Amino acid sequence: MARHLAKRDTLPLGVRIINSLLLVLVVLLMGLPMLNVLAVSLSTQAKSDTPGLVLWPSPSTVQGYTFIWNHVRFGGPFFNTVYVSLVGTVLHVLMASLAGYVLGEQRLPYRKALTTFVLLTMTIPYELTMIGIYAVNRDLRLTNTYAGLIINGMISGFSVLLMRNYFMAIPLSLAESARIDGASEIRIFRSIYLRLSVSGLMTIGTLELIRRWNNITMTVTLISDMKKWTLPVVLRYILFDQTSTSGTSYIFANAKMAAVVLTALPLVILYFFTQSFFSSGIMIGSIKE
Amino acid sequence: MNKPLQRRLKKFRVFYLMFLPVAAYFLIFTYYPFFRGLVMSFQENRLLGARPFNGLENYRFVIMEPNFLASVKNSIIIGVWDMGLYFAFALLLALILNEVARRTIKQSIQTIAYLPYLFSWAVIGGVWALIFDLQGLANKALSLFGVEPIFFLAAPSLARPLIIAMGVWRSMGYFALLFTVAIMAIDEQLFEAARIDGASRFNQITRIIIPSLGPTMKTIIVLLSIGVLTHFDEIYVMVNPANRRLISTLMLYIYETGILNFKTGTASAGATLVMIGTVAITALMRTLTSYDEG
Repeated sequence: MARHLAKRDTLPLGVRIINSLLLVLVVLLMGLPMLNVLAVSLSTQAKSDTPGLVLWPSPSTVQGYTFIWNHVRFGGPFFNTVYVSLVGTVLHVLMASLAGYVLGEQRLPYRKALTTFVLLTMTIPYELTMIGIYAVNRDLRLTNTYAGLIINGMISGFSVLLMRNYFMAIPLSLAESARIDGASEIRIFRSIYLRLSVSGLMTIGTLELIRRWNNITMTVTLISDMKKWTLPVVLRYILFDQTSTSGTSYIFANAKMAAVVLTALPLVILYFFTQSFFSSGIMIGSIKE
Repeated sequence: MNKPLQRRLKKFRVFYLMFLPVAAYFLIFTYYPFFRGLVMSFQENRLLGARPFNGLENYRFVIMEPNFLASVKNSIIIGVWDMGLYFAFALLLALILNEVARRTIKQSIQTIAYLPYLFSWAVIGGVWALIFDLQGLANKALSLFGVEPIFFLAAPSLARPLIIAMGVWRSMGYFALLFTVAIMAIDEQLFEAARIDGASRFNQITRIIIPSLGPTMKTIIVLLSIGVLTHFDEIYVMVNPANRRLISTLMLYIYETGILNFKTGTASAGATLVMIGTVAITALMRTLTSYDEG
């Protein structure tokens, strides 16, 4: 540490002070709103709707959380979203590794054509095919079903290519010797390639889980039945819809912010557990194709 | 002559079998909807039954529609500001963060700045609604300077700035991280050499760090340009009768026209035009940054 500090030149003092002040400003602008949400979510009904800079609730209470969970029935969409996101992510990782493995096999006839077939899907922006996607899903009776939400996005060109790159980095000799020992292709795939690419699997898994948990566009395209909405769409409704009440009672700010925290918290937890995969995912995400 | 190929195909049949579900998915859920949308853009607005072709009628209709034209304007304003500000703020944040010598402080600030990027736009909308409420933090801060409370979320003049600021708040940390990763990859020897030549830290920043970020800057600009016309989630979350006229984007227009009002032909024509626009913007940005020349 000390060595690192010594090695480095510094800016003039005045500039350094401005630099620090800017960083303090960044921390305040980013941190205060999040703290404020947390504080309001933990304050009482009455306190949460009165003015005042609340950064620490006193008295603190989980009233908002119990209200949103019991009266607004936030638990339903919460667990439905957990289900859709987890199943969708597992399938996504599985499909991406299958396709990535196939495209990583360098002697495969027509490998180039298949790769192009996958690459081209990345140039079709999903948002802009919304109407076509809706029509196809309606014909297949997938609208207003969780199966529809799971199937759409079950694979992406990005994940396939990422897995392909991971697999191609594994020396061919490993698979060759397993083949000589009489291992089947499926076996080689499972116990050599998958096992050696855990960080790749974790990377696409984490990115996909976040994408699915947060997805609004696909949900509002496919699901018109409010009872089947996923968390972000329900949250928007609770926050902004004029008619959003639980039966007859008004939803107070503390309960609204509790809903915000409940939607955000799983991702914060996920982030701290999978942080090491994030940097690799971010790097890969920005690599020039 | 075909014998060896046939034998090879047979040898790899397990591979083709493994690829089959993936190929089926892309054909049914990516390629087919794309072409279906294209075809629908030349057909009358009908959800069920036969849809007669009507040539360019949908296109003619959509480019005359005031709502569509308004959303073109909104999309361009919001999209271009977002692109520019995401880029500028992220670069600035990465540069000032890089001057922090202590790693723990640097990483903590980075994490705080990155966190909102994890969240759904609905969560960001919730944070925004609380902060910019009549009794919220923003008004509280303004009152320190003697400014009367402003109803931010209903003020037309603030509709676009707020949506743009919301995007910057959410994405700045993410793009800053991309820059930070690139700064860390700069060869330490360059700084050594500069130091021997007596270059000040400021000169090191302008002569070494910023030029080294060239490729990253290009990548980020091209990445951002793809999204200029496709802002949807944040608009879907934040739109209300007071700001609709000013922030309703092309994607919201396509969604409401096609999915909510079943005017599939009109919406598909709009989507096709947006697709052409996106290709044009991306091509322009690639040219301007000479992206393809490396």
